[in-house]
Amino acid sequence: MADTIHVGMADLVAIKKTGILVTLGLGSCIGLVLFDQEKKIAGMAHIMLPDSRESASVVKPGKFADTAVPKLLDEMKALGAGKAGLKAKLAGGAQMFNIPGKSSSFLAVGARNAEATKEWLKKFGIPVVAEDTGGNKGRSVEFNMLTLMLTVKTLGMGTKEI
Amino acid sequence: MGWGEITSLQLDAVREVGNIGTGNAATALSQMTGRTVDIGVPEAKIIPIYEISEHYGSPEDLVCAVLIRTEGDLPCNFIFLIREEDSRSLADLLIPMDLSSMDEDMQAQMRESALGEVGNVVLGAFLNAISMLTGYVLPASVPSVAHDMLGAIMDVVASIFGVLGDAALLVKTSLRVKDMEHEVGGSVIMVPDPGALESLLQRLGV
Repeated sequence: MADTIHVGMADLVAIKKTGILVTLGLGSCIGLVLFDQEKKIAGMAHIMLPDSRESASVVKPGKFADTAVPKLLDEMKALGAGKAGLKAKLAGGAQMFNIPGKSSSFLAVGARNAEATKEWLKKFGIPVVAEDTGGNKGRSVEFNMLTLMLTVKTLGMGTKEI
Repeated sequence: MGWGEITSLQLDAVREVGNIGTGNAATALSQMTGRTVDIGVPEAKIIPIYEISEHYGSPEDLVCAVLIRTEGDLPCNFIFLIREEDSRSLADLLIPMDLSSMDEDMQAQMRESALGEVGNVVLGAFLNAISMLTGYVLPASVPSVAHDMLGAIMDVVASIFGVLGDAALLVKTSLRVKDMEHEVGGSVIMVPDPGALESLLQRLGV
């Protein structure tokens, strides 16, 4: 049985060869997975907010889309990943509450998280090969290094592999 | 100002807001349900945003959350949080008819509407306490009800606090509805928008 590593809020983890990366109960946050199929290296980040420039300080790079993507890349390169073969999968970015007539940017932060994450992936030239974002339900995600599949569990909607 | 810089005097003041707010909320809930409602001693503390959901359970626990937003003098979000199974008993207590003859969609709609109203009444009473303490006018939005995993609900709380820094103000209140087959417990969570903290503390004179 492969090791299961839980990736907490604003954390990021890179692994080599085997392992399962898990994040439970994603709402507006994003579970981002990058992987290098050839070298068997993968990483997961649990991104909370779109842009570190809106914040006073950055204690954990995994917290923001603009800091998480380059930091996760660095961690994976340190394990030997090549930039050329990298691919991305992501899930999350839901809007848990909806108040008619109110467009609070905080309630819609999920969509901005998904957008910013994809924008940064594009800047680094990493293709998104699978995505399950948006909607109004939370998700738990699990990435298996061996199968390279991201299992997404959504309350009341079952489980799917992307 | 980040939450990490709050003084212990200010924390006491916020705890007192939580205390009075919860007292009001308990009275309202008691009137609504016709049951005795106990309140726990409220806590107010500064914790890392990454640990918020741990204070309420496990990330995949099923919960029901009702959120309302206030604008104007105090832009703030208030959440009434109960366990999913408790939300069902609470809704059924408030719906004065037998739902079993209805189809499931209809039952769900009735419960949803009852829970929105519970949230409205409980959070409205909490807001009234803040209004009385501060003199602020706090127009509240309509309630938004969500049923989901605790972790997913708490993302909302963490991301609002997270804009300012890595600390969150946890005002943990508890309400318990007695004289039911299963005792029902809930909490009110208060999440001011960035910047709203200063005005609240200033009004409280700390």
